[in-house]
Amino acid sequence: MADLITLTIDGRKLKVPAGTLVIEAAKQAGIEIPAFCYYEGFSLQAACRMCLVEVEKMPKLQPSCTLPAADGMVVHTESPKVADARKGMLEFLLTNHPLDCPVCDKGGECELQDMVFRYGAGESRFTEIKYHQDEKQWSPLVYYDPARCILCYRCVRVCDEGLGVGALGLTYRGVAAEITPSHGDHLECDECGWCIDVCPVGALTSGTYRYQSRPWEMNHTGTICTHCADGCKTTLSVRNGAIIRANNRDRSGYNGEFLCVKGRFGYDFVHSGERLQSPMIRKNGKLEPVSWSEALAAVATKFSEIKARGGKFGVIGSTRTTNEENYYLQKFARQGLGTASVDHHRTGDVPALIDALSGKTDALAAMADLYQAKAALVIGADLAQQHPLIAYQLRANYRHHKMAAYLVNPGASREEQYAKKSVHAPPGKEMEAVASLAGELKGHEDLVVIFGASLRGEGVRQLVSFGDTLGIPVKYVCLVDYSNSRGAMDMGLVPELLPGYRSVREAGMEPGLALDEMLAAKDLDALWAVGANPLESAELASSAAFVVVQDLFLTETARRAEVVLPAQSAYEKNGTVTSVTGEVQKLKAGAKVMGTKADLEIMGLIAKEMGLNLGIWSPDKVFEEIRRTVRGYNIPLPVVATGGAAQTTPVNGRVPAMPRPEHIRPSGDTLFTSGTLGRYSKRLSSVMEAPGELFKG
Amino acid sequence: MPKIQEILSGAAAIAKGMGVTIKEMMNPVITDDYPDAPPKFQERYRGLHVLQRDEDGLEKCVACFLCSAACPAQCIYIEAADNTAQERISGGERYAKVYNIDYSRCIFCGYCVEACPTDAITHGHGFELASFNTSTLIYRKEKLLAPLAPGQTGKVKLDHPVMAETGH
Ligand code: SF4
Ligand code: SF4
Ligand code: SF4
Ligand code: SF4
Ligand code: SF4
Repeated sequence: MADLITLTIDGRKLKVPAGTLVIEAAKQAGIEIPAFCYYEGFSLQAACRMCLVEVEKMPKLQPSCTLPAADGMVVHTESPKVADARKGMLEFLLTNHPLDCPVCDKGGECELQDMVFRYGAGESRFTEIKYHQDEKQWSPLVYYDPARCILCYRCVRVCDEGLGVGALGLTYRGVAAEITPSHGDHLECDECGWCIDVCPVGALTSGTYRYQSRPWEMNHTGTICTHCADGCKTTLSVRNGAIIRANNRDRSGYNGEFLCVKGRFGYDFVHSGERLQSPMIRKNGKLEPVSWSEALAAVATKFSEIKARGGKFGVIGSTRTTNEENYYLQKFARQGLGTASVDHHRTGDVPALIDALSGKTDALAAMADLYQAKAALVIGADLAQQHPLIAYQLRANYRHHKMAAYLVNPGASREEQYAKKSVHAPPGKEMEAVASLAGELKGHEDLVVIFGASLRGEGVRQLVSFGDTLGIPVKYVCLVDYSNSRGAMDMGLVPELLPGYRSVREAGMEPGLALDEMLAAKDLDALWAVGANPLESAELASSAAFVVVQDLFLTETARRAEVVLPAQSAYEKNGTVTSVTGEVQKLKAGAKVMGTKADLEIMGLIAKEMGLNLGIWSPDKVFEEIRRTVRGYNIPLPVVATGGAAQTTPVNGRVPAMPRPEHIRPSGDTLFTSGTLGRYSKRLSSVMEAPGELFKG
Repeated sequence: MPKIQEILSGAAAIAKGMGVTIKEMMNPVITDDYPDAPPKFQERYRGLHVLQRDEDGLEKCVACFLCSAACPAQCIYIEAADNTAQERISGGERYAKVYNIDYSRCIFCGYCVEACPTDAITHGHGFELASFNTSTLIYRKEKLLAPLAPGQTGKVKLDHPVMAETGH
């Protein structure tokens, strides 16, 4: 901790660490100093001159965004002199600014509007014709209106420093100066839309939210992104049940403002015209819409009949449904149907890591650790493409703390821009490359290791023993691909394990079939796929199997089904999900789609119809049961309830049975794809960068 | 004789009263003949709203939502959309795709008119709103829009000087 100094801001005595910027010191005391160009966490500009303050004994007004606090300093942030200077700056900004507020998307949440309202520079002494340039479309998602731009460079900095994309720059000078995309007239970038989000005015607007609404016309719901496993918090803005914007307004710290293109724009699948809105039953070889009661009764009757004759079930869970749903599904399968053949699409070997770490505490990294660690080792992952938030955290760590990054990848990745060392090694040969880095890694205070699915089983154990030899604290992240992949594993959606990594033998069962084995079993009597699309890339061997599918769309698997039940997406329901770093966060329903039901309710209704007693099927009640019974999930409720992220306490002990690593199939998704879901998001495929490629840098 | 005096003063009172009546009969009529004849309005009477058009017949409303924000009865519902090169509805960048006023809630306060930055929404003089079915009291844009003046098309050619100047 640096030395504390004392300064006075607006008559209040404050103690802050030496070197703190005056603007930050004021913020800590709850005094807001207006600024357009200053943006916390990014390089300083002192270009907009809005943050000028009066400092006693200094002859001129000082920009508080670049002024380090000094001992004994006396600062006035709202003196008449300051207000006058700000008014003057605003008048300059407005000389060429159009009177667009009524049609400008930013109206109502515009920082320039707010400032003019506060300091009043509404009347112009400037009578010449305003310099005007037309609005441009840079990509399907990003529009730029140069006339409204106040050249604060926030967009330029977040894109370059925050993401390492650097797609924006400045061209021309004077009144003609404007922001220009690196490809002249269009963007080739991550299409994350962060530039739009940080723009204090309506210069950058989003192709999707454009002209849709006004900020005060929408309801805002804080929930969790349903695309990748990084678990970004996102705030959905909803009007008439439809999501029209997503950006993160939750500052509890998990992902700050960051969202990738999928989180910010990829919600359009929710209102896709292809959403299923009525249950369907196959009649005369064709799926026909029927009522919920008819469909549920059909499933219950058939399930009961197969169960009674001791038939063979296969149950496939989802990597996107909530923990509650996953828990309930495995309970339904094991207790209700009496089958041990439960699985999901596995994308990483989490059980192997938990097993290898047995006996250690504090060895699983949380998202915040990635920003604090002194060094990071990335193995077999193109983070910028596959795990955008992790990539962002590491880059921010490098920017602010000079974290040392080491990469062992099969090809190029964007992290090479700042990595201390990057070794290219084909899958299977990573550990040799990792071993060669031992000397350098030992030199750091601590380390976080992030590894992809190419390391599994024995590989993971080798990695952990290697970490042990370094003699420094090491934390690990085992990468998985989908929004609740981790939760599906934790909740026991695998043949070998019950929730909380307990062996199914404890429940008096032998491990059942894995996903691939279910599909290959010629004598399978029923296949129940809840939010999964296993037939996308495989055939179902048993032609007689009774297939029940709960999904959002008529997927390949749903097309083969006897009964299809329209489910809700994560944006339409409540519950919890667990991120790649094992942090549990709360989903909150935002959108509404007529005719659908949450998977939990569907399962509960089938259970009721079958006369099974599996407990109440409300998310809260099931979560209570999870907290009571699943090891590691006894997390503090208030943290989750108030929208925080609570890391599950790792199961500290050997994992009694190992799910077979050969059933792990990484999704191979890029920044612009998102499994089956991604196919129904028109926006993700509308950009020219789609579908993207891994390990191309 | 008190009796004669009474008669005389009574006659005088009647004559005075008749005088007033006859004088008023000579004055122009100020009451309306509604419903036999259309009523007359003061210029600033606040009746049914009219969504105005500009000189070219384009809609003036740019769907800024300010009227709906100002409305204390929350009876204005708007959905905005983008003007395209093929189809230009309003003079600004956006227009109201949907514009509804719910007259079962409107209190004719005129706040919307005051809020409108483009003078698009105005109070007209329509007042015959009564209905046996409240759902018919939601007036859609089509019903609120001012009719096109003779010669107006409601469409602007792209070589129109205004269009050329602003580059739209
Ligand atoms: S950027 Fe702000 S001030 Fe400028 S037109 Fe838009 S809302 Fe108005
Ligand atoms: S969308 Fe994202 S990547 Fe593209 S220019 Fe904006 S900030 Fe940069
Ligand atoms: S586009 Fe927006 S964020 Fe970028 S410089 Fe202009 S005003 Fe600032
Ligand atoms: S990084 Fe992952 S969780 Fe975050 S917004 Fe992107 S897809 Fe969603
Ligand atoms: S009528 Fe006027 S205030 Fe209402 S949306 Fe249209 S332009 Fe805006």
